[in-house]
Amino acid sequence: METANGNGLILIETYYGDYGYRARALKQTGKRMMGYISAAVPVEIMHAAGFIPVRIKGDPKETVTKAYGSMETLVCPFLLNAYNLALKGKYDYLEGIVIPHTCDSVCRTYDVWKRNFPLPYYHFLNVPHLDSAPSQEFFKEILKTFVKSLEQFIGKEISGQDLANAVLAYNDFRKTMRELYDLRKPDQPLISGIEMMKTLVAVKALPVDESTALIRQIINEAKGRKASSPQKPLRVMLVSDQIDDTALIEIIENTGAQVVMDDISVGSKLYFADIEATSDPIDGIAEYYLKKVNLPTFYRDKGGSYDENLELRFGHLKRFISEFNVDAVILLVYKNCDPYGFEVPATISYIESLSKPVFYVEDEYSSSSSSAIKTRIEAFLEMLTQERR
Amino acid sequence: MAEERKQRMTATAAAAKIPKMVRANFTANLKAKEEGRPVAFSFIVNCYDEILRAMGVVPAWAESYSGICAAKRDAGRFLEKAESQNFSRSLCTYATCGLGFEHWRNELGGEMPPDAPWGGIARADFILGTGQMLCDPRYKWPQAVQHYMKDVPAYIGGFYWPPYDENMDQREVEDYYLKYAVEELRGAVAFVEKQTQKKMDWDKLEEITDLVDRTWDMFIDAYELRKARPTPMDTGDAMNTMVPLAFMLGTQEAYDFYKELYDELKDKIAKKDGVAEDEKYRLLWGAGLPPWFALSDFQYFNSKGAVFPVERTYREAERIDRLDLPKPSNPLERIALRWMRYWTHWYDAARKRKGSIPEVERLIEYIEDYQIDGVVFHKAFSCRTWHSGIMLQAQLLKEVYREIPVLVLEGDIVDISSYNEGATHLRIDAFIEVLENLKNKR
Ligand code: SF4
Ligand code: SF4
Repeated sequence: METANGNGLILIETYYGDYGYRARALKQTGKRMMGYISAAVPVEIMHAAGFIPVRIKGDPKETVTKAYGSMETLVCPFLLNAYNLALKGKYDYLEGIVIPHTCDSVCRTYDVWKRNFPLPYYHFLNVPHLDSAPSQEFFKEILKTFVKSLEQFIGKEISGQDLANAVLAYNDFRKTMRELYDLRKPDQPLISGIEMMKTLVAVKALPVDESTALIRQIINEAKGRKASSPQKPLRVMLVSDQIDDTALIEIIENTGAQVVMDDISVGSKLYFADIEATSDPIDGIAEYYLKKVNLPTFYRDKGGSYDENLELRFGHLKRFISEFNVDAVILLVYKNCDPYGFEVPATISYIESLSKPVFYVEDEYSSSSSSAIKTRIEAFLEMLTQERR
Repeated sequence: MAEERKQRMTATAAAAKIPKMVRANFTANLKAKEEGRPVAFSFIVNCYDEILRAMGVVPAWAESYSGICAAKRDAGRFLEKAESQNFSRSLCTYATCGLGFEHWRNELGGEMPPDAPWGGIARADFILGTGQMLCDPRYKWPQAVQHYMKDVPAYIGGFYWPPYDENMDQREVEDYYLKYAVEELRGAVAFVEKQTQKKMDWDKLEEITDLVDRTWDMFIDAYELRKARPTPMDTGDAMNTMVPLAFMLGTQEAYDFYKELYDELKDKIAKKDGVAEDEKYRLLWGAGLPPWFALSDFQYFNSKGAVFPVERTYREAERIDRLDLPKPSNPLERIALRWMRYWTHWYDAARKRKGSIPEVERLIEYIEDYQIDGVVFHKAFSCRTWHSGIMLQAQLLKEVYREIPVLVLEGDIVDISSYNEGATHLRIDAFIEVLENLKNKR
């Protein structure tokens, strides 16, 4: 694995600052990259096909310019921004993009991506919104069609063993990520929210084995750290979809508070469960993505009462709040985001029922809007800090 | 659809009957509630019409009620209620209007919000939604509304159809899509049986499924009469005449309505009785739900000699023989197949025209069949499902087909705050000028 003076976090800084840096370098050596949108795409399958999966991200510092001519502004601002980056050539090293059926913004712009950012391979992955038994069976078929389409593209078979190996590699990675999350549990977290955010993003464009090795290295480095201040910071959890930039966390941590946990789609949503090693790996993969990745695009209802359903949808937040000793929650939802937007009152009341304050903010995906919410977030955190004194 | 503040004249007698029919739908759900009969919140194109009708469940159409509030220009207070609950203004305003309404009702301990348009919508006994490609609110709205009616159970069925892929024949994967849809419909039957404590009458379901097939055919037969010059009915009326198809499917009344419409249009054609006094331009309403509070804009088009003989919106039916349906083994399979093929039957045409997509093929088919001079799209800011991709469709029409004038209007379905009548009329005037110039050049 490539290292920079043995310092994993310096490497993370490079990969975060220039997203795709390592992927582009690897391309020179003949490696192949496949892009994908959202947390609902099984990266294991792309890996088994011989690709390095690269999660499509945006850049809130980039002003959207090129996208306006071909994508409607009524869609998710994150997606619009990411598409804008693609049109500006930031993803030219990809051979294709896999777009899942998650939200209307993603699903309804599939043809727009395909037509205006042409790549040799595009696939629409029809992920169901439900996790019932028939949905599970259906999703397995969807995944088999996906495997078949990748096989056609690469011109060779993807074996069960390839898939099983991929599952093992990603389970190993997920386990290592959980160990990294554990370093946020002490009163003085050993890794800051900003560092964690950069790490979460950086590994989204790396080969999985490199990611695992890099995370191990960071864990070792962080374990050697000493607490910088005797004061216990205000501990914040961030709940959102695709936050892939540090701007918001900088606002929070500049107040002295620490982001100690997240429930975001580039973060914990992906790491707190493993894929079961089933005899047909597709079974375990289907089960993991439908049942264990907690996106609001999955409808959870086992026929119980409304409160029981709330537990199915948000029970993991309760666990996180307790395990990471969270003092307050910041819920950020992008404008035009239906899956999260419709959940806001339920999410807020669930968190408040745990006697934790929650600050809700609707935002665009842009640094200029972050500065507009800065004062409000600072006031919220200041109020909580005062209360603790 | 509903009556508006500024009453829009309808060209057909059939369309003029609609406000009464819509009202009757709402009276029916309020009455059913009073009498203790089951009422279900449901959404159009939900695929449950036959099941609901066969089981005697009275549908309370959530979107329709928001449309009524909008047409009466009385949605603002419900939208504000929703906003007070932190529902973003950028969400589907059908949904947020409905959510504001239910939040208010909940605050009042179950009482109807004051002066609710048309007496309000009944509080549902259960909700039927879908997780399908049509839109996110079809499963998120039910979930969100339960926050204000926690005792009301919901069933969300997975109902998908194969996506378009130019390299793959959708029939190769149709089997597993069909299997899934049928199982989910079976789940819906079991859910409704549990809620109503009543067993499904499968013979009745079969009968109603037959009736729906015939209604789809009659609807298309009637609408295709609009190919005539001058056209006897345009989109302004179609935004009303869609009501039986969308909200009364599976009833004899819906079939009879389209039969009557068919007869009326035949008669108008014989008399050369057109929508516009002097029909000069034939337009296609290419995509987008209408601004319910400004349906009179269609009349503005008509006053300029522009008519809409066809629209994409609410034409959620096709002649059954065009769907090439394999023989189904039971009514649920028939319902599933009919819907699935409805969405996929443009795929073959798209595959034949390089660079095309099914939505565009559909537009091309209408442009040719109805001798269209220009296409108008309406972009409603709060509905991503119908309104994203409009730019692409306009772009592809030009690329894979031919240059054709396109107008994209912007606004919303329910939220009047983004609408400006003067500015809209100016844009329409400019578009008419383009059509006129083109005509003069020919
Ligand atoms: S933030 Fe919301 S709208 Fe955007 S991609 Fe995620 S789920 Fe979709
Ligand atoms: S189709 Fe559009 S307007 Fe209708 S419920 Fe869905 S998002 Fe709302």
